[in-house]
Amino acid sequence: MNRNPTLKIYTIAYLIFLYAPIILLPLFAFNDSKVIAFPLQGFTTNWFAEMWADQQLFVAFRNSLLIAVTSSIFATILGIFAARASTRYKFPGKGGILGLIMLPMVLPEMIFAMALLVVLVAVGVPLSLFTIILGHVLLCTPFAMAILTSAFQSLDRSLEEAAYDLGETPASTFRLIILPLVMPGIISSLLICFTISLDEFIISYFLGGNQTVLSVYIFGQFRFPAKVPAVMALGFILVCVSICLLTIAEYFRRRGIAKTGGKDTGGFL
Amino acid sequence: MTFSAEKPNMIEFRDVHKYYGDYHALRGINATIKAGEFFSLLGPSGCGKTTLLRTIAGFEDISSGVVLIDSKDMANVPANVRPTNMVFQSYAIFPHLTVEENVGFGLRKDPRSKDEKAKAVAEALEMVGLKGYGKRAAHALSGGQRQRVALARALILKPKVLLLDEPLSALDKKMREQMQVELIKLQRQVGITFILVTHDQEEALVMSDRIAVMFEGQIAQLADPETLYRRPASRKVADFIGTMNFAPAAVLSEDASGVEVDAQGFGRMTLSPDQVMGGATSEGNTIGLRPETLTILFDGQNATDREVFGTVEEVVYYGDMTYYDVRLDGAAEPLRLSMRNVPGRPVLDIGAKARLGWSPSAAVLFR
Repeated sequence: MNRNPTLKIYTIAYLIFLYAPIILLPLFAFNDSKVIAFPLQGFTTNWFAEMWADQQLFVAFRNSLLIAVTSSIFATILGIFAARASTRYKFPGKGGILGLIMLPMVLPEMIFAMALLVVLVAVGVPLSLFTIILGHVLLCTPFAMAILTSAFQSLDRSLEEAAYDLGETPASTFRLIILPLVMPGIISSLLICFTISLDEFIISYFLGGNQTVLSVYIFGQFRFPAKVPAVMALGFILVCVSICLLTIAEYFRRRGIAKTGGKDTGGFL
Repeated sequence: MTFSAEKPNMIEFRDVHKYYGDYHALRGINATIKAGEFFSLLGPSGCGKTTLLRTIAGFEDISSGVVLIDSKDMANVPANVRPTNMVFQSYAIFPHLTVEENVGFGLRKDPRSKDEKAKAVAEALEMVGLKGYGKRAAHALSGGQRQRVALARALILKPKVLLLDEPLSALDKKMREQMQVELIKLQRQVGITFILVTHDQEEALVMSDRIAVMFEGQIAQLADPETLYRRPASRKVADFIGTMNFAPAAVLSEDASGVEVDAQGFGRMTLSPDQVMGGATSEGNTIGLRPETLTILFDGQNATDREVFGTVEEVVYYGDMTYYDVRLDGAAEPLRLSMRNVPGRPVLDIGAKARLGWSPSAAVLFR
């Protein structure tokens, strides 16, 4: 085997470019200096204390949490309906309809952020947390549907027929058989949607009115150099939380596949 | 194996048709299945046998006709209240439940006490040979064990009819043969009507009281295994059930006592009316003989009935059996015949001359 070292170097360079900036977050979050520059000045947890004391940050965080929880729940419920329809039923225009539901996944967010803004203003809906939730549900539903479709697909259709054959109604079959078996997919969908919503900037910025969410607030703080170390501290916490959530989501997705005896065809991680 | 005629009808199909869009899946099924019978639906894939089974379960609506179970019309009776239970091809064991919970699943609305239900579950598990497996997780079971759980889960509800959709196809050969015998015993023990869907003719012959052979949405022949094997209604049925040798024949004369024919390689013979098949469908005149009804005669052996001569064209040695292809003098196609191997008897070589013994009473004429 005579491997070309260029590919190896390329891969390493790529990974450094991808992850090195994230490693800088904890470095400067604990660095005892207002300036983001090397050499490091010593260890401190002051920035975390400063961040904790910031009242505006607290409000932005609470807003983000509310939006993320609400939109992930709505997106997952809509995802369940769509995934069920795509795996079980035949109807005219199915391919087109499912394609349109999935489109926001690849469509530039800016486009429907602008479109929604124009429509909401024209109709006279005041911009608020509610309008952000509306946008986030649109954005998250395709992800929920993708995850849940794979959960519903790995479900053997004869399981439903067996439950029905043994005397259950379609409703109790859904509750006793389908729901427990796709539950890992549902949890995984909730967590992914939560993360997407928490990170989201454009829709939150366009449709938020005078309400601030975390991502928009953080971006605003970069205008004040003195605030940057505290933002670094916040960023570090967000990285940790995101890694935890994605790990939990992947764990449930894999467990769901193992439980139904299916074959893992790869997910988000 | 024969079935007494006094048994009541359990299932009746009256001119059942099923369309999937333009596709005509069931084309006028008329049949009666008796109570307590082990009945098989046999045919190649796509012949409609599974569709027919699913019309009994209630998973498929029929386009026209009537399905009766125990003399009740099943139109508008949904699957969850029909007196039938099904063992699925994939077994459909609920993977998130234990063996016990799977078997007891259908008892959820049963008014009996918890202890009585637990006892019923234990009995059902014992019946299928899974005593003590109750607490195991269902997804950790082997194929054969899943099969047994599926059986116990269906039988615990004491259905009038048990439907089995190719239940043995996922098992290896040895396991399959073992389960065939167990299923027959189980059916005798519980006395429930079993309806088996299979594409394996040997499985159907071994297990069934009666078999319906299906092709292209129609029943080609409905008979007990022996009749099906010895007197197939058409060349197609004969070809599907085991192997049959065909030889073109000319009809010389016929009257009420039988038909006199001259078959290529075999010569003249007279066949009784029950040996004449398919008067309605014109398949040309052909006689059929099963491989085991032809015997190679070795030195010193005499034919019990008739004798013909030919040349060995192919020899396939199977250990207990040897299959020969022999072309009779004056015949266009070679015949396949199977001989049990006996110690001290030689296996013939290709090109050897062979003397065959046979009897017209084993032949059938397809017209």
